Amino acid sequence: MENDKNSQKIVDYIQNFSRKHSLFVLAYGTGCGAIEIPATMTSRYDAERFGIRGAATPRQADVLLITGYLSTKTLKRVIRVYEQMQEPKYVIGFGSCTINGGMYYDSYNTINGLDQYLPVDVYINGCMPRPESVISGFVKLQELIQDGKANNGEKYRENLEHYRTNQKKIIKNWKMPDYNW
Amino acid sequence: MTDLVKENKLLDAVSQAFKIKGKVIRNRRVEVYADKNMVSSILLFAKKQLGYIHMAHMTCVDWIDQGEFELVYTIYSPIEKITLFVKTRIDRENPEMENIDSIWDQANTYEREMREMFGIEFPGLVGEHDFILEDWDQIPPMRKEFDTHKYSAETFFSRPGREDAKEVRDELSKRSGTIVPDFAKKYSRE
Repeated sequence: MENDKNSQKIVDYIQNFSRKHSLFVLAYGTGCGAIEIPATMTSRYDAERFGIRGAATPRQADVLLITGYLSTKTLKRVIRVYEQMQEPKYVIGFGSCTINGGMYYDSYNTINGLDQYLPVDVYINGCMPRPESVISGFVKLQELIQDGKANNGEKYRENLEHYRTNQKKIIKNWKMPDYNW
Repeated sequence: MTDLVKENKLLDAVSQAFKIKGKVIRNRRVEVYADKNMVSSILLFAKKQLGYIHMAHMTCVDWIDQGEFELVYTIYSPIEKITLFVKTRIDRENPEMENIDSIWDQANTYEREMREMFGIEFPGLVGEHDFILEDWDQIPPMRKEFDTHKYSAETFFSRPGREDAKEVRDELSKRSGTIVPDFAKKYSRE
């Protein structure tokens, strides 16, 4: 019995280790933050040495990187993208706009606070965050994955009711497909 | 610099043809004030006779105190290199304006935006009512009586602590060992 526990520990360790070193990022460039992504990926900061690289489609991605403000119209697309992603999946909110609305806090069509609509693993603050902060945020996410604490995909499924209520407050005409994960 | 010969000539041509007022703002900028019903003929005249073939922009200003919307048509002549503004005022209660997308096709886009953002009706305008906004059920958001701050506070979830950023300032002063000035209060939005 104890042997089982220990071997499970080892399996988990290896699983988390390999997960954290191959993060395929879907950069959802909504606002001005998208301009920091090329700088992070290219030779000067070279994010690929941490195993961070771009993914082509939501279904192949692990991390959804939301760079900047989200208008109510974009939120609909982001939710669809997030629900298409396969577990394990993580969300990184990037820039102060995703945290509290930033400079668009009183706008009629940008949301304040992404974590009311999607479960966010790591927030990177700044307006704009520099590539160092972006990499620091990713390293934080890697730590969470190694400790087995980054399980927000599960959290989203369990609290779907709560998130749906908030989402439907914004998206009044709800005509979205249901994905069964 | 120059004595604005071309500009005054243009102003004379338009104002004499339609008996309207206008002024030369500076070199290469001329504006005329027209009645609502004359706008399309002025634009057509400028396009066919004077060579103002390019419609650069079309926008709306909300004069809530005077109960009027001001529509501004910005047209440009690539030969004269002058921008002509045709301005007109319409009533704010039942805003309705002539549709000019038969003169310039691109006016359709601007008119649809104004219909959505200001609630101005353009009879005969083709295009869906949902243009930029989706599922909008309030009054048009660019009107001045729309309180965007209140709407945002009601609809979206605001995060506590952004008013004075006290936690951040305390943390900063703890780390640096100095007293951080009360700049957040000085520059606060209230």
